[in-house]
Formats: sequence, structure tokens, C-alpha cells
Amino acid sequence: MASPIRVLTAVPICDGHDSAINTINLEFIRHGIEVVYLGYHRYVQDMVRAAIQEDVRAVGISSYNGGHVEFFVEVVKQLRKRGADDIAVFGGGGGTITHDDQRVMQKRGVDKIFFAGTSLTGMVDWVHQRYGKQHKASGRNGAPADMQLARKLTQIEDSYANGKAPRKSAMKKSGNTRVIGFTGPGGAGKTTLIDELVLRLLHREAQSRIAILSHDPSVVGEGALLGDRATMINSQHDRVFMRSMATRGQAGGLSPATEDCLLLLSQSGFDYVIIETVGTGQEAMPFQTKLVDQTVLVMNPDYGARLQLQKIVMLDLADIVVVNKSDQERAKTAMSEIERRIEQNERPQKLISTVAKRHRDVGVDQLCDLLTQPKPAAAASAKR
Amino acid sequence: MSKLGRVVEAVDKYNNFVENEVKRARTDKKFGQQMVDRWNQIKANIPVGTAPTGLKLPRLALPEIDEAGDITRYLLADGLPGEFPFLNGAYREMYLEPMQNPTIETGTYEKNGHGKKSKLNGSKNGASNGTVAAGVSPAQDKAEQPTRLPLQQAEEPTRLFSGLMLAEDTNERFHFLGAHQRSKRLSTAFDGPTLYGIDSDADGVFGKIGEGGVAVDTVEDMIRLYDGFDLGSPDFSASMTISGPAPIIMAMYIAAAKRRFGPDIVPKLRGTIQADIFKEVQAQNETIFPVEASLRFLTDMMEYTTRNMPRWYPVSISGYHIGEAGSTPVQQAAYTLSNGFAYAEMMAARGLEVNDFGPRLSFFLDCGLDVEYIALTRVSRRIWAIGMRDAFGAGHKAQMFKVHTQTSGRSLVAAEFKNNLTRTAAELMLSYMNGTNSCHSNSADEPFTTPSEEWIRLAAHGQAILLDESGIFKHTMNMLSGSPGMKAVERAVEAAILEEFREIERLGGVMGAVENRYQRSQIQTAAHRYEQQIYSGVRPIIALNKYRNENEDLPEFELARTPRSKQQLQVDRLKKFKAKNAKKAEPALEKLAAVVETDENCFPALMEAAEVCSLGQIGETLQEVVGRFRPMV
Ligand code: B12
Ligand SMILES: Nc1nc2c(ncn2[C@@H]2O[C@H](COP(=O)(O)OP(=O)(O)OP(=O)(O)O)[C@@H](O)[C@H]2O)c(=O)[nH]1
Ligand SMILES: [Mg+2]
Repeated sequence: MASPIRVLTAVPICDGHDSAINTINLEFIRHGIEVVYLGYHRYVQDMVRAAIQEDVRAVGISSYNGGHVEFFVEVVKQLRKRGADDIAVFGGGGGTITHDDQRVMQKRGVDKIFFAGTSLTGMVDWVHQRYGKQHKASGRNGAPADMQLARKLTQIEDSYANGKAPRKSAMKKSGNTRVIGFTGPGGAGKTTLIDELVLRLLHREAQSRIAILSHDPSVVGEGALLGDRATMINSQHDRVFMRSMATRGQAGGLSPATEDCLLLLSQSGFDYVIIETVGTGQEAMPFQTKLVDQTVLVMNPDYGARLQLQKIVMLDLADIVVVNKSDQERAKTAMSEIERRIEQNERPQKLISTVAKRHRDVGVDQLCDLLTQPKPAAAASAKR
Repeated sequence: MSKLGRVVEAVDKYNNFVENEVKRARTDKKFGQQMVDRWNQIKANIPVGTAPTGLKLPRLALPEIDEAGDITRYLLADGLPGEFPFLNGAYREMYLEPMQNPTIETGTYEKNGHGKKSKLNGSKNGASNGTVAAGVSPAQDKAEQPTRLPLQQAEEPTRLFSGLMLAEDTNERFHFLGAHQRSKRLSTAFDGPTLYGIDSDADGVFGKIGEGGVAVDTVEDMIRLYDGFDLGSPDFSASMTISGPAPIIMAMYIAAAKRRFGPDIVPKLRGTIQADIFKEVQAQNETIFPVEASLRFLTDMMEYTTRNMPRWYPVSISGYHIGEAGSTPVQQAAYTLSNGFAYAEMMAARGLEVNDFGPRLSFFLDCGLDVEYIALTRVSRRIWAIGMRDAFGAGHKAQMFKVHTQTSGRSLVAAEFKNNLTRTAAELMLSYMNGTNSCHSNSADEPFTTPSEEWIRLAAHGQAILLDESGIFKHTMNMLSGSPGMKAVERAVEAAILEEFREIERLGGVMGAVENRYQRSQIQTAAHRYEQQIYSGVRPIIALNKYRNENEDLPEFELARTPRSKQQLQVDRLKKFKAKNAKKAEPALEKLAAVVETDENCFPALMEAAEVCSLGQIGETLQEVVGRFRPMV
């Protein structure tokens, strides 16, 4: 099976008209397309960075608040400047984009404008026909490092999709990179927590570079909506390389290509590589790999009765357990129940309480301190 | 249970109460006769007017019923216009032309029935019966004046939303629009950078300056924007459509007014600022601070205006954006009302009296072509009144759902766009049938651009044709209310709204539902279905998927696009302002930040900062303290 088409969609800066793009996203994924959605009110540079890192075939922009000629053309220009000539730019904006505008935009490299009244199938067909072909294996000669890395990640994903034997690499991860795995039930706050950590890391360490590998489920038999970039506002940054992956049918919260992608990222000179699983049941450890230095289990205080905790295998395996949403009533009880539960393990596990959605939360500060301490030599070996 | 759960209970209880009273009127002879007598008295007191053709018509139309149970149901379940539960209208008379030669003594039915107790108070009956859920309590009954027709009569309900390019350009448009009106009711649209609290000189926004609305960065822009209007005059009101940075813009408006008219102007200021954060998170996407912080800034401002600006509406609880984002009409009403109850709960939690803040809450609904719109506003008014009275203990004025309606922009399409005139006309008709207090009619060029004067003029005229030229609304209140079809829609819509309330309540109230993305995902699903229905033909859209003209060329338009030179001018002005105020800005911002760190009301500090700081400077300072909004997909 060929790899699904990946496109990036977004709405320009100072524009919150997202109804059209939300509908189009839904329509795309129903037709097998993987959509990395960057959200509304987004700058050119954020779209360009995301398009390159995610290595999408095309960027679809939905613009309503005017200034579209300049905006679309600027996206084209920036993509070209960074060697990504083969990432197409298309989009629409109902009646606000005129035929005259379109002519100017096309002359300056925009691929296609969909006017008001175009059927949804018309757009889906266009994407399949026009963006169905894979990119050249690498970007232009001398393409920036981000782009080279992005294309290699695509190759890995593609080789899994094509059922070719994965090219297991024997290489070891580089010693300076710290790989942190986040897992936990759906909606516990993993994404929010990671983005808050990124904010702190970028702030504390003026040089460090971070990679994020984030996962969202594929809809059965269909594409996927990869929406983490829309909420991870702090991670849209030049020192952050982020890649959104669809699970493509694999259970357990990760994609078939995850381990290889993780290995590649951990050899690519980042200081931190952070990986988030899909929200999962916690019966098993999703990170079956030596590649992950530290595992963080993010819990919701609302896990139900205390008995539930006994079944959560992840509580035995995680290096750090975070009880997020501590603004909620049940948080205190949850903390003490979980504390007692992990005491049984007799391992040096840490338990932290956070409110990820609160600005400058001290719990998140603590988590950041823990994760930036000199590498605990024990952590990796404590894992089975 | 949050207050919303109580509201659901209250509506159920009230509906039961009505049915019991109906039964009582049918079984208890004496009570039944009382109701019939009242009814006859009400009818006898209705003044009669004369149409230009000489036809005599009552100023209020009532159903042709004479049986005690039916009468009771009408008076209690619907209420006369201006009376609880306000199904037929917030005021006794709306849109009617002044009486020329009243043919009878109008008695208590006079539109300014000063101080006299209304004999039409349908809910009085229940109160004498000792039932809590019935009507106003006797104490309230005494305290409240009968519904007096406020300025509604003297003021045209027409209020057109406009904003383009720089402040002076919008000012010119305001004068153009106002030239034909007795009262000056301005409605301001801001450009993207302003809506997002970003300065015009920020990186990456240059092309957006003055697009889709007016650029406002500083108090000086605010002065230019309303130049030539007397902000303190009783027949002037300014509406500002902005929410994320609303408290900052409000502070700037006050600062501008003070500079022009001195500090005594503040209590006289009259107008509305949208400021509705919940619907931003749910539909319009202009939240700039985390939700909790946004709500705190909002309630700080609301508290200030409630105490100091008695003529100001500090929030316009809006369904328009929810509807336009693609929700169903029921979702629109349900989310808007529940947001409203959530604000009321927040204000009450601050220790404000419901009868102080309640009358300052106003609403803004969408009106499209779906069948629900026959009664959506009517039902909303009813639910609001019952909820406010029985779950919040509100008196008469705080029970009233005062609403601005805008016809649906999304129903207007590019294909053969002149058809949009007909669509808007139909929607206007529905809006007035629902007794809207004010109304914006969209221009036919809506799909393409900020409307040009040609089409705005037609949009405004559409309203005048309905209200002034036609006899549909000016002779008789209730002219089209209460048809069997309308009743059927009312019942179905009310039940569906309550069902939505229950779901929201299950999710922990409005805030819990927001955190679960409930409203957003419901709206998105409905929007997707709506578009699918268009392209599958389930929803006929004339000239788009039915009777399509394949040879149609897109029309040529006069596009309202802001020239680069103007955009540059805005940037230059802002830079000058910042340079001039540099010394004063810093301490003002520091003070603001310090206050925000505490629990104090930060609006006074915001007003001080607005004198010398730009919108972006203030917005950034606030974000440093409270963080940025993390969008939801
Ligand atoms: C819905 C709407 C809103 C809603 C948006 C809700 C939401 N979450 O999206 C609300 C009410 C909140 C809103 C607010 C505003 N709006 Co508005 N809005 C519209 C409206 C009515 C419809 C747009 C729409 O979504 N249509 C439905 C989509 C599915 O159909 P379509 O637009 O025809 O698009 C088709 C194609 O173009 C294509 N397409 C579109 N995008 C893309 C992208 C890709 C990748 C592809 C493949 C295809 C594609 O798909 C569609 C199907 O065929 C238009 C007017 C109109 N009738 O078009 C004004 C309009 C866009 N808004 C306008 C303005 C000015 C505003 C405000 C700035 C007003 C203000 N000052 O406060 C605010 C700003 C809001 C914000 N946060 O940015 C102006 C823009 C004027 C201009 N550019 O010159 C318009 C044109 C109205 C007008 N004439 O004034 N708005
Ligand atoms: N009350 C509260 N809500 C939070 C907190 N942190 C995150 N949330 C909210 O929880 C919801 C889910 O957050 P995410 O960060 O997307 O959670 P996630 O674990 O990544 O979710 P999935 O990837 O879908 O499994 C969002 O609405 C957040 O705003 C918190 O500390 N308190
Ligand atoms: Mg997540």
C-alpha cells in the first residue's frame, strides 16, 4: 500500500475563520489523507517551518480576513528560499479571493485557489491527483538540515507503509541526547505538559534544540487528523523540530515506524527528543525500546476507584508519574492513592502534581527540573 | 448542580405550573371566571389605530380564544408582549408607529404607563396563588414598574456593522450611515490585528492592517474613530465588536471619551462591547489569554461598568458566531443561553446583585433560513426569563432578554449574488417576527468584501421597507405571532435546547463542556454536515446547486482593500505615539502587571495604561503575567 498523502492546513495570522478548513480537514481524512493541522491565526514562518518538518506534499491555506495575495505568495517564497520548492501551496477563501487575485497568485507560484461554490469532492480529487506523487528522496542539494531530516523520516514511514523490510539500523543513539517518553490516558494533558516543558527548556537553555515526535490515531480505514501543532503554541519555534505521526493502524499508541524514526532523531544532534503516545490504556508499556531514557506517565485524577490503579502496569514501569489537572477536586486523593500504589514498587520513581494549563505552574517547573538533571545512570538500566 | 441544571429544572417546573393552572382554570369556576374577566379587560383596553387606507386595527393582536384554560395558557406560557415570560416580546410595543388618533382611552395600556400597575400582568395570578414558580413575587410586583417602552420607539432598530481601513475612514462611513437616522447607533468592526490584540507595527501583520475592519492601536485612534459624535448624548450609542482584548479596548474608549469630554462623561457613556469570551473559545477564535484569565479580565470590566456606567452593556452574549461557524439553530440558542447563565453565575459569585447586572446583559443572535428561526429568538427570550427569575431570583428588568439580530452571512453565496437580497429580506422578516430589539441586515456583496456603500444602502433600505413602508409591523404588535406552525416550532425548539442544557450539565456545566471541546466539536460536526448537504443537494441553494447558471462570471466589485500607504500611515502613527509616551508607558505597564498578580479588580489600572500605552503593549504585558491562550482544534 502506498503511503497516505500528507498535507498541512492552516489559517493565516489575524484570521480565525476556521469553519471552512475544519470541514475540509474532515473531508480529507475521510478520503485517506493525513492532515497536519496547524490551526488558525498562524504566521507565514510557522506554516513554512511546519510544512518542511512534517514533509507534507502541499500546504492548504484558508484565508478570509484579507491580505491573501501577500500571504500566500510569502509562503511560496519562504518555502522556495528554504529549498522546499516541491511543496505546493493551494487554498481558498470563499468569495474573498477574486479571479484577478488568483491570477496574480498563480503567477507567483501558488498552485490552486478554490473559489466559493467548489464541491468538497472537487478538492479531495484535486489533492489525490495533484499531490499523489511522492517527493524526491531529498530536497535540493544543500537543503537545510531540517529538511534533510524530514525527508529521511518520510522514507522510513514510507518503507513501512510499502511493507518493505524495515531497515533496522544498528547505530546507537548519541550519548548527549536525552530521550523522554510521555504516555498516559487520553486527554490527561500530555500535549499541554510537553508544550509547557518546551517553553521552559527554550527559556532556560539558550542553545538547546528539541525534537518532538507526536502521535495521533488514524481513523479506521481512513486518514488522520494530526492536530497537536495547533495546541502546542510554544513548540512552533526554530529550535524545535516537530513531527506528527499517524498510527496507521497499529495498536498501542505508536506507529510501526516510530522506533526507527526515534532512533534517527536521537542521532541527529538534539539535546532532547520528546515522544508522546496516543492516549492509551495503560496495560502495557508502549516504549519497548532502550532508546527512551526516561518515561513519564501522565495521569488524570479522574481514574475512578482506587482498584483501577492496580491494573495500571505503567505505574510500575514509569520513571516519573505526573498527576496533572491538580486544579480538580479529586487531585489530592489521587496523589495519595498513587503514592501508596507506587511505594509497593520499591523503585526510585518520582511523583509530581501539576496543573499544565496554568501559566508558570510550579509543578511543571519541578518536572522540568527533574528532566534536566544530569542523566540518572540508573534510569535506563532500571527498565526491564 | 451548576446553575444551568437549576435552569432546566425551573423551565420544566414552570411548564408544569402552567399546565396545572390551565387545569385549575377549567375546574375551579371562580378562578376560571377571573381569568376570563381579565382577558376581556385586556382586550377592552387595547387601543385601536388606523392604517393609511382607513382600516382600523387593534394595536395588539391576541388569539381568538374565550375558554378559561386557553386564556390561562396564553397569559402564563407566552405572556403578553412586555410581560413574563416574554415569548412575544421584551416590550409591550415594538416597531409600532406612534398613535395618531387613539379611538379609546388607552388606560394602563399606554406605552408610558408611568407607575401605574399593569393590569396585564399575567403572572400576578400565580403569585396570589402562593406558588413560587408563578409570576413575580408580590414584593417584586410592587417594586417593578410596568414595562415601559424605552427608547426603542424613538430609535430605529437598524444598526449596521462597519469598519474599514483607518479610524478616519470608518468615521466617514459612520457619518454616512448616520446621516439618515434620527439616532446615532454605531456598530464598529475592527481589523484582524486589533481583534487579536496585536499592534500594527508587529512583524507579519502589515498586510492585515485595516482589512475587514478598522485598525485601532491607541487612544488617539479611538478619538479619531468617533470624532464628531457626541458620546454623552442620550441618543448616541457605540457598539464595539471585539472580545479577546475587549477590556483593553473598553479602557481605551473611556480614555478617549475623557480626553474629549472630561472625566464626567464616564457615567453617561452608552453602548455595548461584545466581550463574550465563551463564544470566542467555542466559535469565533479570538481568545488571546487563557480562558480563566480572559474571564477574570471580563468580569473585572463588567463589575466596573455595572457600578460606574449604568448605560453600558459590558457583554453581548453572542450566538451569531456560533451559528455562522456552522452550528444548528438549536445549538446556537443552547450554547448562547448557557453561556449567558454562566456569566450571570460568575457575576453573582462576585457579590453583584442580579438586579444590577442582569439588565446590563444583552444578546446577539443569528437569523438564517432554517425553519427553527421562525421562533428561535422567542424561545430564547422565554428560557432566559424563566431561568433568570427562578434560578437567579431576578426581577422584571433582569429577566428581559434584549437581543440584537444579524441576518446570516453564511446563507449568502457568491453564485448569482443578487439573490442575496431576497435571502436577507426573508431573514429580516423572521428577525422582526421574533421581536428583535435591533438588527443588522447583511449586504448582498457579503461573500466578497467588506460591503460597499451601494449594497449597504440596499441592506439598510430593506429594513426600512419592512418597518416603515410596509404595514406588516407598524400597526399591530403580535401581527404574526402565535400561529399554529410557530407554536409547533417553539415547542420542538425549546425541548431540544433543554436537551442540550442537560448534556452540558452532564459535562460539568459550561466550563467543563468547553474543556471537553464539547461545543466546538458539536459545531464542527454540524458545519461539516451542512456543507455536505449543500454538495449532495439535500439543501437546495438557488443558483448554487439548483437552477445554476453555468455561464455565470464572477461579478466585478468595488473591493474595500486598504492601500499600502494607509497601512504605513497607521504604523507611523503608532511609532510616534510609542515614542511620545515611552516614559509614561513603562510605569503604567508595571503597575498593571502588579495589579494583575493580585486578586484586585484590574480594570482601573487598565484604564490608566490605556491613556499612554498601545493595545499591543498592554496585551503583551498581560500575557507575560497570565500566559497565552492555547487554542483548541
Ligand atoms: C462564517 C463567517 C464568519 C464566522 C466564522 C466562524 C468560524 N469559526 O469560521 C464569524 C461570524 C465568527 C466571522 C467573523 C468575522 N468575519 Co466573517 N465571515 C463568515 C462568512 C459568512 C462565511 C465564511 C465561511 O466559512 N463559509 C463557508 C465555507 C465552507 O465556504 P466558502 O467560504 O464559500 O469556501 C469555499 C471555498 O473557497 C473552499 N475553501 C475555503 N478555504 C479553503 C481552504 C482550502 C485548503 C481548500 C482546498 C478550499 C478552501 O471551500 C469552500 C467550499 O467550496 C463570510 C461571508 C461569506 N458569505 O462568505 C464572512 C467574511 C469572510 N467575514 C468577514 C469579516 C470581516 C469578519 C470579521 C473580521 C468581522 C469583524 N471585524 O469582527 C470577523 C473575524 C473573525 C476572525 N476570528 O477572524 C469578511 C471578510 C472581508 C474581506 N476579507 O474583505 C466576510 C467576507 C464578510 C464580509 N463581507 O464582510 N465570520
Ligand atoms: N483542568 C485542567 N485541564 C487541563 C490541564 N492540563 C490540560 N488540560 C486540558 O485537558 C485537555 C486535554 O489536554 P491535552 O494536553 O490535549 O491532553 P493529551 O493527554 O495530550 O490528550 P490526547 O493526546 O488526546 O490523549 C485540554 O482541554 C486541556 O486544556 C490541567 O492542568 N487542568
Ligand atoms: Mg495529546
